[in-house]
Amino acid sequence: MQLFLEQVFNGIGAGAVYASVALALVLIYKSTGLLNFAQGEMALFSTYVTWWLAAEKDIDIVPAIVLSCAFAFVAGAAIERILIRPVEGSTHNPLNVVIVTLGMFLAINSLALLIFGTEQEQMPNVFPKDSYDIGGAALQKETLGLLAMLVGECAVLWALLQKTKLGLRLRGVASNAESSRLVGINTGLMLMLGWGFAAVLGALAGSMVASTRTGFDASLMQIILVYAFAAAALGGFDSLIGAVVGGLLVGVAQSLTTEYVTALDGIETVLPLGLILAVLLVRPNGLFGRRTVERV
Amino acid sequence: MRRIRALRLLSLVLVPALFAAACSQRDDDDDAGTSGNNDDNGSADSSIDTSNCSSDPSEEISGDTITLVSSYPQSGLTAAFAEIAKGWQSYFEMVNAEGGVKIGDKSYKLAWKDKDDTYDAAKTVANVDELLGTSYDKGLGAFSVVGTSNNLAIRDKLAAACVPNMFAATGSPAWGNPDYPWLIGSTLPPYSLESYVFADLLKKEKPNAKVAMLVQDDDFGAGYEDSFKRAIEGTDIKLTKVERYAPGATSDVSTQVTSLAASGADVFFDGATLLPCPDALTKASQAGWKRDITWVSGTCISKTLMGLAGEAAQGVYSISNIKDPLDPQYDSDEAMSLYKEQVKKYAPDADIENGIVAYGWTQGAVFVKALEEADGANRLAIMEAVRALDLGDDVGLLSKGTGVLTDGEADPYMGERFNLVQYEFQGANAKNHFKVVDAYDYEGKTAELTPEELVNGN
Amino acid sequence: MAEATETKTPLFPPMPAEIRNIRIALAVVITAVALYAPFYFDETNNKIISQALYLAIAAMGLNLLTGFNGQVSIGHGAFFGLGAFTSARLMADYNWTFEATIPLVAVLTGVFGLLVGFPALRVRGLYLALVTLGLAVLFPQVANKPLLKGDRAIALVQPKPSGFESLIDGLDDDQWKYYVCLVVLVVLFVAAWNLTRARPGRAMVAVREQELAAATQGVNLSVTKVATFAISAAYAGVAGSLSVMIDGLASATNPAAYFQLSIEFLVALVIGGTATILGPVVGAFIVVILRRNTSDLIEGKEVLSPAIFGAALIALVYLLPDGVVGGIRRLFARVGQRRTSYEVATDTT
Repeated sequence: MQLFLEQVFNGIGAGAVYASVALALVLIYKSTGLLNFAQGEMALFSTYVTWWLAAEKDIDIVPAIVLSCAFAFVAGAAIERILIRPVEGSTHNPLNVVIVTLGMFLAINSLALLIFGTEQEQMPNVFPKDSYDIGGAALQKETLGLLAMLVGECAVLWALLQKTKLGLRLRGVASNAESSRLVGINTGLMLMLGWGFAAVLGALAGSMVASTRTGFDASLMQIILVYAFAAAALGGFDSLIGAVVGGLLVGVAQSLTTEYVTALDGIETVLPLGLILAVLLVRPNGLFGRRTVERV
Repeated sequence: MRRIRALRLLSLVLVPALFAAACSQRDDDDDAGTSGNNDDNGSADSSIDTSNCSSDPSEEISGDTITLVSSYPQSGLTAAFAEIAKGWQSYFEMVNAEGGVKIGDKSYKLAWKDKDDTYDAAKTVANVDELLGTSYDKGLGAFSVVGTSNNLAIRDKLAAACVPNMFAATGSPAWGNPDYPWLIGSTLPPYSLESYVFADLLKKEKPNAKVAMLVQDDDFGAGYEDSFKRAIEGTDIKLTKVERYAPGATSDVSTQVTSLAASGADVFFDGATLLPCPDALTKASQAGWKRDITWVSGTCISKTLMGLAGEAAQGVYSISNIKDPLDPQYDSDEAMSLYKEQVKKYAPDADIENGIVAYGWTQGAVFVKALEEADGANRLAIMEAVRALDLGDDVGLLSKGTGVLTDGEADPYMGERFNLVQYEFQGANAKNHFKVVDAYDYEGKTAELTPEELVNGN
Repeated sequence: MAEATETKTPLFPPMPAEIRNIRIALAVVITAVALYAPFYFDETNNKIISQALYLAIAAMGLNLLTGFNGQVSIGHGAFFGLGAFTSARLMADYNWTFEATIPLVAVLTGVFGLLVGFPALRVRGLYLALVTLGLAVLFPQVANKPLLKGDRAIALVQPKPSGFESLIDGLDDDQWKYYVCLVVLVVLFVAAWNLTRARPGRAMVAVREQELAAATQGVNLSVTKVATFAISAAYAGVAGSLSVMIDGLASATNPAAYFQLSIEFLVALVIGGTATILGPVVGAFIVVILRRNTSDLIEGKEVLSPAIFGAALIALVYLLPDGVVGGIRRLFARVGQRRTSYEVATDTT
């Protein structure tokens, strides 16, 4: 029982990270209708920036993360304006954007290796490394910390999107860009903001997960991105709650599979995949996605 | 009208075609595809059978340059392995600056060509083909190719052409396969021996140990596991649990470590490599796993990786036969000073405190020694020299008491003498390093100790 | 014979003679170049061209599914890998001849395509893209199991090179391999061309554009979509099979390998021009040449190579939003239109 609980806690910790990245993916999807394959590498670059500030420039870890988020916001917005805007929109082949994000994926990873080096590095701790005792099972404080960060992100996003004028405008552009423009909303600015916020989410997720690991290198976000996509698909790409639930589900499922199903040793990836497939067959828009009604 | 037009078009096509036919890239005398049988060479007591070579390996090198080729990751997620080359390239530069290496009574300069294979075995094949040329005449042979699968991918072709592939940069026991005399590994101790040393340590310190292992889910991990199971046969040591993790991108091993910690084991074999290795150590500490002995893979003993684990690495054991550049006891060691000075000179962007650069340097040194002992400047003689080494610890950065001994088919492994080392953590800002605790000599024993399928398997 | 009292303006202007002649000339040149190439180039370059050829076949398969039928897949690397490992193992462990493995691979991967195509009916758009992505990520791990790699220690299967030797005296091995790829490419491309011009092709496009309308027109959605999936998978599988001949091995030791391949197929397709017949070939050559020239480009800064490659991709997408073939078509159309309106205006017969 104790082992089971501990593995569940492990899964929640990992799942919180997948969920955070999934939130970023869903945010971009909701505001621009695009799949951003470079989300992981953008997060990686911001993670390296955090590390550089904290480890090389001796800034405290929390202010370093804040600064890195600011950098991520600007970079995300800039990327939308400069790289994505020219190829997105209904007049263009939707696959072109995919190619651009894939190109970014390669380029950003390579640049990170060039600028920050190929060595493994260590991110200073954000959370204390000890644990609470829950009925004999150890609940790492880090896991709680990651969960708290996730909840915080959700709360801020909810408040932003539902309770502010800016959020209203963002949702408007996401729902119908043409009409929004006609009503006077600066759609371009909204798109940039959407990407900026998503980049901040990614930067947070990357910095946090790097600090919970013993060390990180340029491969940090690659497998996490795959799981984040899985989480977003599971929960429904147009649902922020779906991203959170999906992430936690994927994390826990993965952890329990590793522990209890030895036949799948080394191919644990099959489980999240199977899970998504099963869910999508029953609910083609994910657990929390809304059915798109096709008008003839 | 139309017909004339068509004729004009046709001629437009044919004329350039004729030009192209006249000047072709192809060397039509090339019979790269066919393999001809070669006359048996002269030396009857050669340890290598050259009767099936497609080219004559006893043909002397023309000119005064020995050219080596290499293929290793230089971009992408495994780009860190490129540091190895900085070590041996610096050594070769140093030798060249001093006039080159003497074989017989002639001096040769050392040259090399390398390409990036991003750890992809298919690219390694393409790179080696390109660098050596289709008839393998553009270089002496391959040197320090990184990756087990990468070396396996080029093994057959080079063997058929009797082209040396030397100092394969992994500890796979497969490099001792007697069917492939033209392939030899490096001073890296074979992975299977690590398990034996570990078993030996346990027999001495904790004869009724309960061991949990974390290994990679591939042949590297299987090597540790299978060899260890063999090594503990007939003892009271028990293997309680083995957990595997997927190789490749940074795998999170928290789940595996939690599982191992709960298995009731009091000894931990951390057979992981790269980031999962120190990660497993910290997670084990975090989980409060009470252990008497912890072992880390020999691939994990670098300053970077152990530094990441920090206090969690206190007291872990491993093996090594290269002097640790971080160890203060070598600060005034002549070999170490030479290494640091020359690498700073020829590869200023290399991290001299990184153990893999020291490893690369040592391979260069061993190879040059082999060249000096060679009977002649041809593939056969040089390969035989590499297979007949008898060096002490004064070569490169080999640890005290170790050395390199190879003896043809009887002993194709270089790194069978090494030290048992233990990590001493003195603080986050101290120069933490491995201390030598004991010495092991497995000369000539790798083949008999390693399960056969690990040697001849692929 | 009564004369027509009005000249009818054709709905679709006939291709002007100039354009048609240019196209014929181009076709002749390309054919000549394609046939002569292996005699001009050396072994290394022949290998590279052959790699472009099998990449083109896989891209064509993806073209059918994604370009013509609108189902986005970023997992075709898995079918490619399946084909590669099947061929390699049949040759290495069961002594099959290489040529015999190709039809079997086509059928096997086609069947797998069917298996994936069925659930794909329920899973749409980007969800399908992600599920297929999962396939590509999963494949190297599956290849590491005894089913695909046999009793080898690692997922690397290398058949004996003698299995690929030239069957025609006078042709070197590398030339022979090139011709095999070329023949397979031509056969598969002609098949695709016929398919897309006939009813099935129109059905595929109809499904892509507006499913509901297609259904009302009597197109069987399920059959069309699943069949397209199967065919595209078979193309990718055959390409994988050919890759064993050209590269000499099937390897899954790099966990990201098949994901990268899937992306390369997509890139080749988009850059060449989606929903065109020549697009995949053009795109494949561009990808192979780019990949080669950006590798090891800057001495001392090799780590930057993927960035240069990525930047080149982005630049290409900007400059040629419809791909290369799309861009050429637009060029021809503009030239053609001008002529036609002139002709109409001057009322020549």
